[in-house]
Amino acid sequence: MTDIALPTDERTDLDLIVRWKAGDERAATQLVERHATAVARFVASLGAKGDTNELVQDTFVRAFASIDGFRGESSLRTWLFTIARRLLLDRRRSIRRRGEEVEVQEGDAITEYDSLDSVVADETQRRLRHAMERLSPTQREVFTLRVSEGLSYKEIADAVGTTEGAARVHYHNAMRAIKEFVDD
Amino acid sequence: MIDCPNGDIRDLLPDLLHDRLPPAQRIEVEGHVASCDACRAEFALLRDLRGTMARVPKVDTTAIAAAIPPYRATARRSWVGWRAAAAITMIAAGGTSVAILNHQGAATVDHTQVVSSPSVPTSRPAEVTSPALSVPVGSGATAEPSAPASPTQHGSSAATPAPEPSAEPSIAMASGAVNELSDRQLSELIDEIESLDVLPSADVESASTLLPPISTDVGHE
Repeated sequence: MTDIALPTDERTDLDLIVRWKAGDERAATQLVERHATAVARFVASLGAKGDTNELVQDTFVRAFASIDGFRGESSLRTWLFTIARRLLLDRRRSIRRRGEEVEVQEGDAITEYDSLDSVVADETQRRLRHAMERLSPTQREVFTLRVSEGLSYKEIADAVGTTEGAARVHYHNAMRAIKEFVDD
Repeated sequence: MIDCPNGDIRDLLPDLLHDRLPPAQRIEVEGHVASCDACRAEFALLRDLRGTMARVPKVDTTAIAAAIPPYRATARRSWVGWRAAAAITMIAAGGTSVAILNHQGAATVDHTQVVSSPSVPTSRPAEVTSPALSVPVGSGATAEPSAPASPTQHGSSAATPAPEPSAEPSIAMASGAVNELSDRQLSELIDEIESLDVLPSADVESASTLLPPISTDVGHE
Protein backbone atom coordinates (compact mmCIF):
# COMPACT_ATOMS: atom_id res chain seq x y z
CA MET A 1 0.00 0.00 0.00
CA THR A 2 3.00 2.26 0.10
CA ASP A 3 3.37 2.42 -3.66
CA ILE A 4 1.18 5.41 -4.10
CA ALA A 5 1.64 7.21 -7.35
CA LEU A 6 1.71 10.93 -7.69
CA PRO A 7 -0.03 11.20 -11.01
CA THR A 8 -0.44 14.95 -10.94
CA ASP A 9 3.20 15.66 -10.17
CA GLU A 10 4.41 13.12 -12.66
CA ARG A 11 2.10 14.41 -15.32
CA THR A 12 3.38 17.89 -14.63
CA ASP A 13 6.96 16.68 -14.93
CA LEU A 14 6.20 15.03 -18.23
CA ASP A 15 4.42 18.13 -19.48
CA LEU A 16 7.40 20.26 -18.54
CA ILE A 17 9.74 17.86 -20.31
CA VAL A 18 7.62 18.09 -23.45
CA ARG A 19 7.64 21.86 -23.23
CA TRP A 20 11.41 21.94 -22.75
CA LYS A 21 11.89 19.71 -25.76
CA ALA A 22 9.77 22.13 -27.74
CA GLY A 23 12.19 24.91 -26.87
CA ASP A 24 10.70 26.34 -23.69
CA GLU A 25 13.73 26.94 -21.45
CA ARG A 26 11.52 28.06 -18.58
CA ALA A 27 10.25 24.52 -18.36
CA ALA A 28 13.77 23.36 -17.53
CA THR A 29 14.01 26.01 -14.83
CA GLN A 30 10.74 24.84 -13.36
CA LEU A 31 11.92 21.26 -13.30
CA VAL A 32 15.12 22.29 -11.56
CA GLU A 33 13.18 24.27 -8.99
CA ARG A 34 10.88 21.34 -8.34
CA HIS A 35 13.59 18.77 -7.75
CA ALA A 36 16.97 20.39 -7.05
CA THR A 37 16.54 20.63 -3.30
CA ALA A 38 15.44 17.03 -3.00
CA VAL A 39 18.42 15.90 -5.08
CA ALA A 40 20.73 18.01 -2.92
CA ARG A 41 19.26 16.49 0.22
CA PHE A 42 19.73 13.04 -1.18
CA VAL A 43 23.36 13.50 -2.22
CA ALA A 44 24.06 15.10 1.15
CA SER A 45 22.67 12.01 2.82
CA LEU A 46 25.06 9.96 0.71
CA GLY A 47 27.98 11.90 2.13
CA ALA A 48 28.75 14.33 -0.67
CA LYS A 49 31.33 16.68 0.75
CA GLY A 50 31.32 20.32 -0.21
CA ASP A 51 30.39 19.68 -3.82
CA THR A 52 26.66 19.27 -3.43
CA ASN A 53 25.78 22.15 -5.72
CA GLU A 54 28.14 20.93 -8.40
CA LEU A 55 26.85 17.42 -8.09
CA VAL A 56 23.25 18.54 -8.34
CA GLN A 57 24.09 20.61 -11.40
CA ASP A 58 25.87 17.69 -13.04
CA THR A 59 22.88 15.53 -12.27
CA PHE A 60 20.51 17.85 -14.08
CA VAL A 61 22.84 18.41 -17.01
CA ARG A 62 23.27 14.66 -17.39
CA ALA A 63 19.56 14.06 -17.02
CA PHE A 64 18.52 16.65 -19.57
CA ALA A 65 21.20 15.48 -22.01
CA SER A 66 19.70 12.00 -21.94
CA ILE A 67 16.10 12.96 -21.40
CA ASP A 68 15.03 10.76 -24.31
CA GLY A 69 16.12 7.83 -22.17
CA PHE A 70 13.57 8.73 -19.53
CA ARG A 71 10.51 6.67 -20.29
CA GLY A 72 8.40 7.64 -17.32
CA GLU A 73 8.54 4.16 -15.82
CA SER A 74 9.59 5.78 -12.56
CA SER A 75 9.02 9.32 -11.42
CA LEU A 76 11.41 11.96 -12.70
CA ARG A 77 12.65 12.54 -9.17
CA THR A 78 13.50 8.88 -8.69
CA TRP A 79 15.32 8.96 -12.00
CA LEU A 80 17.25 12.03 -10.87
CA PHE A 81 18.18 10.27 -7.62
CA THR A 82 19.50 7.35 -9.63
CA ILE A 83 21.65 9.63 -11.79
CA ALA A 84 22.91 11.59 -8.78
CA ARG A 85 23.82 8.41 -6.98
CA ARG A 86 25.77 7.09 -9.97
CA LEU A 87 27.56 10.37 -10.41
CA LEU A 88 28.60 10.40 -6.80
CA LEU A 89 29.80 6.81 -6.89
CA ASP A 90 31.71 7.45 -10.13
CA ARG A 91 33.30 10.50 -8.59
CA ARG A 92 34.36 8.54 -5.55
CA ARG A 93 35.82 5.78 -7.69
CA SER A 94 37.72 8.33 -9.70
CA ILE A 95 39.12 9.97 -6.60
CA ARG A 96 39.98 6.60 -5.13
CA ARG A 97 41.90 5.73 -8.29
CA ARG A 98 43.95 8.85 -7.79
CA GLY A 99 44.81 7.55 -4.35
CA GLU A 100 42.93 10.07 -2.34
CA GLU A 101 41.16 8.97 0.78
CA VAL A 102 37.44 9.18 0.31
CA GLU A 103 36.26 6.24 2.29
CA VAL A 104 32.69 6.79 3.27
CA GLN A 105 32.64 6.22 6.96
CA GLU A 106 29.92 6.45 9.47
CA GLY A 107 29.06 10.10 9.86
CA ASP A 108 30.10 11.22 6.40
CA ALA A 109 26.52 11.66 5.34
CA ILE A 110 25.84 14.32 7.86
CA THR A 111 29.04 16.28 7.34
CA GLU A 112 27.16 18.38 4.85
CA TYR A 113 25.17 19.68 7.75
CA ASP A 114 28.26 20.42 9.82
CA SER A 115 28.56 23.91 8.44
CA LEU A 116 25.14 24.54 9.86
CA ASP A 117 26.19 23.59 13.36
CA SER A 118 26.32 27.16 14.47
CA VAL A 119 22.84 27.72 13.15
CA VAL A 120 21.31 24.57 14.50
CA ALA A 121 21.39 24.92 18.20
CA ASP A 122 18.52 22.71 18.96
CA GLU A 123 19.64 19.78 21.04
CA THR A 124 17.02 17.45 19.62
CA GLN A 125 18.10 18.18 16.09
CA ARG A 126 21.73 17.65 16.98
CA ARG A 127 20.90 14.39 18.61
CA LEU A 128 18.94 13.18 15.63
CA ARG A 129 21.81 14.09 13.34
CA HIS A 130 24.12 12.02 15.48
CA ALA A 131 21.63 9.19 15.30
CA MET A 132 21.68 9.43 11.51
CA GLU A 133 25.47 9.42 11.57
CA ARG A 134 25.43 6.01 13.15
CA LEU A 135 23.51 4.41 10.34
CA SER A 136 25.29 2.43 7.69
CA PRO A 137 25.54 4.21 4.32
CA THR A 138 22.85 1.98 2.84
CA GLN A 139 20.52 2.43 5.79
CA ARG A 140 21.01 6.16 5.63
CA GLU A 141 20.37 6.24 1.92
CA VAL A 142 17.15 4.25 2.20
CA PHE A 143 16.01 6.05 5.32
CA THR A 144 16.55 9.45 3.71
CA LEU A 145 14.55 8.50 0.65
CA ARG A 146 11.75 7.09 2.76
CA VAL A 147 11.49 9.72 5.46
CA SER A 148 12.82 12.86 3.85
CA GLU A 149 11.55 12.31 0.31
CA GLY A 150 8.60 10.07 1.04
CA LEU A 151 9.44 7.56 -1.65
CA SER A 152 7.78 4.18 -1.67
CA TYR A 153 9.88 1.06 -1.24
CA LYS A 154 9.46 0.38 -4.93
CA GLU A 155 10.82 3.81 -5.82
CA ILE A 156 13.67 3.42 -3.37
CA ALA A 157 14.50 0.04 -4.84
CA ASP A 158 14.61 1.62 -8.32
CA ALA A 159 16.78 4.50 -7.14
CA VAL A 160 19.40 2.52 -5.27
CA GLY A 161 19.30 -0.68 -7.28
CA THR A 162 17.92 -3.06 -4.71
CA THR A 163 14.68 -4.87 -4.00
CA GLU A 164 11.58 -3.61 -2.25
CA GLY A 165 12.05 -6.18 0.47
CA ALA A 166 15.64 -5.17 1.10
CA ALA A 167 14.66 -1.50 1.15
CA ARG A 168 11.98 -2.25 3.74
CA VAL A 169 14.45 -4.15 5.92
CA HIS A 170 17.00 -1.32 5.70
CA TYR A 171 14.35 1.21 6.65
CA HIS A 172 13.16 -0.69 9.71
CA ASN A 173 16.71 -1.47 10.84
CA ALA A 174 17.54 2.22 10.54
CA MET A 175 14.44 3.18 12.46
CA ARG A 176 15.29 0.75 15.23
CA ALA A 177 18.89 2.02 15.43
CA ILE A 178 17.74 5.63 15.64
CA LYS A 179 15.23 4.81 18.37
CA GLU A 180 17.89 3.02 20.38
CA PHE A 181 20.23 5.98 20.07
CA VAL A 182 17.54 8.47 21.01
CA ASP A 183 16.50 6.35 24.01
CA ASP A 184 20.05 6.14 25.38
CA MET B 1 10.68 3.80 22.77
CA ILE B 2 8.71 0.64 22.11
CA ASP B 3 7.60 -0.61 18.72
CA CYS B 4 3.98 -1.04 17.85
CA PRO B 5 3.26 -4.68 16.96
CA ASN B 6 1.23 -3.50 13.97
CA GLY B 7 3.97 -3.52 11.36
CA ASP B 8 1.63 -2.60 8.52
CA ILE B 9 0.67 0.65 10.18
CA ARG B 10 4.28 1.46 11.05
CA ASP B 11 5.18 0.85 7.44
CA LEU B 12 2.72 3.54 6.40
CA LEU B 13 3.84 6.25 8.81
CA PRO B 14 6.28 7.87 6.35
CA ASP B 15 3.46 7.95 3.78
CA LEU B 16 1.23 9.61 6.32
CA LEU B 17 4.01 12.09 6.96
CA HIS B 18 4.16 12.95 3.26
CA ASP B 19 0.42 12.83 2.79
CA ARG B 20 0.69 10.06 0.26
CA LEU B 21 -2.14 7.90 1.54
CA PRO B 22 -5.51 7.53 -0.13
CA PRO B 23 -8.26 9.15 1.95
CA ALA B 24 -9.71 5.93 3.38
CA GLN B 25 -6.33 4.58 4.36
CA ARG B 26 -5.27 7.89 5.79
CA ILE B 27 -8.28 7.88 8.10
CA GLU B 28 -7.44 4.36 9.18
CA VAL B 29 -3.79 5.15 9.92
CA GLU B 30 -4.56 8.43 11.64
CA GLY B 31 -7.11 6.65 13.79
CA HIS B 32 -4.55 4.07 14.83
CA VAL B 33 -1.89 6.66 15.56
CA ALA B 34 -4.31 8.60 17.71
CA SER B 35 -4.91 5.57 19.89
CA CYS B 36 -1.41 4.06 19.90
CA ASP B 37 1.31 5.67 22.04
CA ALA B 38 4.11 3.81 20.27
CA CYS B 39 2.98 4.89 16.80
CA ARG B 40 2.36 8.42 17.96
CA ALA B 41 5.89 8.61 19.35
CA GLU B 42 7.34 7.10 16.18
CA PHE B 43 5.39 9.48 13.99
CA ALA B 44 6.66 12.43 16.02
CA LEU B 45 10.20 11.12 15.68
CA LEU B 46 9.78 10.80 11.93
CA ARG B 47 8.56 14.37 11.72
CA ASP B 48 11.59 15.60 13.66
CA LEU B 49 13.93 13.53 11.50
CA ARG B 50 12.39 14.93 8.37
CA GLY B 51 12.95 18.43 9.70
CA THR B 52 16.55 17.60 10.49
CA MET B 53 17.21 16.16 7.06
CA ALA B 54 15.57 19.12 5.39
CA ARG B 55 18.57 21.22 6.34
CA VAL B 56 20.76 21.14 3.26
CA PRO B 57 23.05 23.70 1.69
CA LYS B 58 21.11 25.96 -0.59
CA VAL B 59 21.43 25.03 -4.22
CA ASP B 60 21.63 27.66 -6.92
CA THR B 61 18.73 26.62 -9.11
CA THR B 62 19.28 29.55 -11.49
CA ALA B 63 22.85 28.50 -12.18
CA ILE B 64 21.80 24.89 -12.57
CA ALA B 65 19.06 25.77 -15.01
CA ALA B 66 21.46 27.99 -16.95
CA ALA B 67 23.92 25.10 -17.27
CA ILE B 68 21.36 22.93 -19.02
CA PRO B 69 21.98 22.94 -22.76
CA PRO B 70 19.07 23.29 -25.19
CA TYR B 71 17.30 20.13 -26.16
CA ARG B 72 18.80 18.17 -28.99
CA ALA B 73 17.14 15.01 -30.07
CA THR B 74 19.64 12.29 -29.47
CA ALA B 75 20.56 10.39 -32.57
CA ARG B 76 19.88 6.83 -31.66
CA ARG B 77 23.08 4.86 -31.76
CA SER B 78 22.01 1.59 -33.15
CA TRP B 79 24.22 -0.94 -31.48
CA VAL B 80 22.33 -3.62 -33.32
CA GLY B 81 23.40 -2.01 -36.57
CA TRP B 82 27.02 -1.84 -35.50
CA ARG B 83 26.95 -5.42 -34.39
CA ALA B 84 25.39 -6.56 -37.64
CA ALA B 85 28.01 -4.65 -39.61
CA ALA B 86 30.79 -6.17 -37.54
CA ALA B 87 29.32 -9.64 -37.97
CA ILE B 88 29.04 -9.21 -41.73
CA THR B 89 32.62 -7.99 -41.91
CA MET B 90 33.84 -10.95 -39.92
CA ILE B 91 31.89 -13.40 -42.04
CA ALA B 92 33.14 -11.81 -45.23
CA ALA B 93 36.74 -11.87 -44.04
CA GLY B 94 36.44 -15.44 -42.81
CA GLY B 95 34.73 -16.59 -45.97
CA THR B 96 37.40 -15.00 -48.12
CA SER B 97 40.11 -16.70 -46.10
CA VAL B 98 38.41 -20.07 -46.40
CA ALA B 99 37.93 -19.60 -50.12
CA ILE B 100 41.60 -18.71 -50.60
CA LEU B 101 42.72 -21.68 -48.53
CA ASN B 102 40.41 -24.03 -50.38
CA HIS B 103 41.60 -22.69 -53.67
CA GLN B 104 45.19 -23.30 -52.68
CA GLY B 105 44.23 -26.77 -51.49
CA ALA B 106 42.56 -27.49 -54.77
CA ALA B 107 45.63 -26.43 -56.65
CA THR B 108 47.77 -28.72 -54.53
CA VAL B 109 45.56 -31.73 -55.14
CA ASP B 110 45.44 -30.90 -58.78
CA HIS B 111 49.21 -30.94 -59.09
CA THR B 112 49.50 -34.11 -57.08
CA GLN B 113 47.01 -35.98 -59.17
CA VAL B 114 48.48 -34.82 -62.41
CA VAL B 115 51.86 -36.06 -61.35
CA SER B 116 50.54 -39.36 -60.01
CA SER B 117 48.81 -40.28 -63.22
CA PRO B 118 50.59 -38.58 -66.03
CA SER B 119 50.03 -41.26 -68.62
CA VAL B 120 46.32 -41.64 -68.29
CA PRO B 121 44.65 -40.10 -71.27
CA THR B 122 41.65 -38.61 -69.72
CA SER B 123 39.82 -35.45 -70.27
CA ARG B 124 39.76 -34.94 -66.54
CA PRO B 125 43.39 -35.21 -65.57
CA ALA B 126 42.82 -33.93 -62.11
CA GLU B 127 40.27 -36.55 -61.20
CA VAL B 128 41.23 -38.50 -58.16
CA THR B 129 39.51 -41.49 -59.65
CA SER B 130 42.10 -42.14 -62.24
CA PRO B 131 42.19 -45.73 -63.49
CA ALA B 132 45.37 -46.33 -61.57
CA LEU B 133 43.63 -45.63 -58.28
CA SER B 134 40.19 -47.02 -58.87
CA VAL B 135 38.97 -50.36 -57.67
CA PRO B 136 37.55 -52.40 -60.52
CA VAL B 137 34.25 -53.52 -59.25
CA GLY B 138 32.76 -53.94 -62.62
CA SER B 139 30.13 -51.34 -62.82
CA GLY B 140 29.07 -47.95 -61.65
CA ALA B 141 32.10 -46.32 -60.18
CA THR B 142 34.57 -48.11 -62.39
CA ALA B 143 32.86 -47.01 -65.51
CA GLU B 144 33.17 -43.44 -64.56
CA PRO B 145 36.90 -42.84 -64.68
CA SER B 146 37.42 -44.53 -67.98
CA ALA B 147 35.43 -42.08 -69.95
CA PRO B 148 34.39 -38.51 -69.75
CA ALA B 149 31.27 -37.99 -67.80
CA SER B 150 28.13 -38.26 -69.74
CA PRO B 151 24.56 -38.22 -68.52
CA THR B 152 23.59 -41.17 -70.68
CA GLN B 153 26.27 -43.39 -69.21
CA HIS B 154 24.42 -43.55 -65.97
CA GLY B 155 21.21 -44.56 -67.57
CA SER B 156 19.65 -41.29 -66.87
CA SER B 157 18.56 -38.75 -69.32
CA ALA B 158 17.87 -36.21 -66.72
CA ALA B 159 18.82 -32.69 -67.43
CA THR B 160 21.36 -32.79 -64.66
CA PRO B 161 24.51 -31.56 -66.28
CA ALA B 162 27.63 -33.58 -66.02
CA PRO B 163 30.70 -31.98 -64.58
CA GLU B 164 32.52 -29.90 -67.05
CA PRO B 165 35.60 -31.70 -68.33
CA SER B 166 37.69 -28.70 -67.60
CA ALA B 167 36.16 -28.03 -64.25
CA GLU B 168 38.09 -27.94 -61.00
CA PRO B 169 38.75 -31.32 -59.42
CA SER B 170 35.66 -32.29 -57.55
CA ILE B 171 37.59 -33.65 -54.60
CA ALA B 172 39.22 -30.32 -53.98
CA MET B 173 36.24 -28.11 -54.37
CA ALA B 174 35.66 -25.25 -52.05
CA SER B 175 33.15 -25.77 -49.32
CA GLY B 176 30.71 -23.43 -50.92
CA ALA B 177 30.75 -25.41 -54.18
CA VAL B 178 29.36 -28.53 -52.54
CA ASN B 179 26.00 -26.91 -52.30
CA GLU B 180 25.99 -26.31 -56.01
CA LEU B 181 26.43 -29.97 -56.98
CA SER B 182 23.60 -31.96 -58.39
CA ASP B 183 22.63 -35.30 -56.92
CA ARG B 184 24.46 -37.06 -59.63
CA GLN B 185 27.60 -35.07 -59.07
CA LEU B 186 27.42 -35.77 -55.38
CA SER B 187 27.07 -39.45 -56.13
CA GLU B 188 30.17 -39.29 -58.26
CA LEU B 189 32.01 -37.50 -55.56
CA ILE B 190 31.11 -40.18 -53.05
CA ASP B 191 32.26 -42.86 -55.44
CA GLU B 192 35.52 -41.07 -55.88
CA ILE B 193 36.03 -40.78 -52.16
CA GLU B 194 35.36 -44.49 -51.79
CA SER B 195 37.97 -45.20 -54.38
CA LEU B 196 40.58 -43.53 -52.15
CA ASP B 197 40.70 -46.63 -49.97
CA VAL B 198 43.90 -47.61 -51.64
CA LEU B 199 45.57 -44.56 -50.23
CA PRO B 200 47.23 -44.69 -46.82
CA SER B 201 44.44 -44.64 -44.37
CA ALA B 202 44.42 -42.21 -41.53
CA ASP B 203 41.06 -43.03 -40.15
CA VAL B 204 40.34 -43.54 -36.52
CA GLU B 205 40.14 -47.26 -36.78
CA SER B 206 43.68 -47.71 -38.00
CA ALA B 207 44.98 -45.13 -35.58
CA SER B 208 43.36 -46.94 -32.72
CA THR B 209 45.34 -50.03 -33.49
CA LEU B 210 48.44 -48.19 -32.34
CA LEU B 211 47.00 -47.83 -28.90
CA PRO B 212 46.60 -50.57 -26.34
CA PRO B 213 43.10 -51.94 -26.23
CA ILE B 214 40.92 -50.57 -23.51
CA SER B 215 39.71 -53.33 -21.34
CA THR B 216 36.07 -53.13 -20.55
CA ASP B 217 36.40 -55.83 -17.95
CA VAL B 218 37.95 -53.92 -15.09
CA GLY B 219 37.42 -56.67 -12.65
CA HIS B 220 40.07 -58.91 -14.17
CA GLU B 221 42.86 -56.36 -13.99
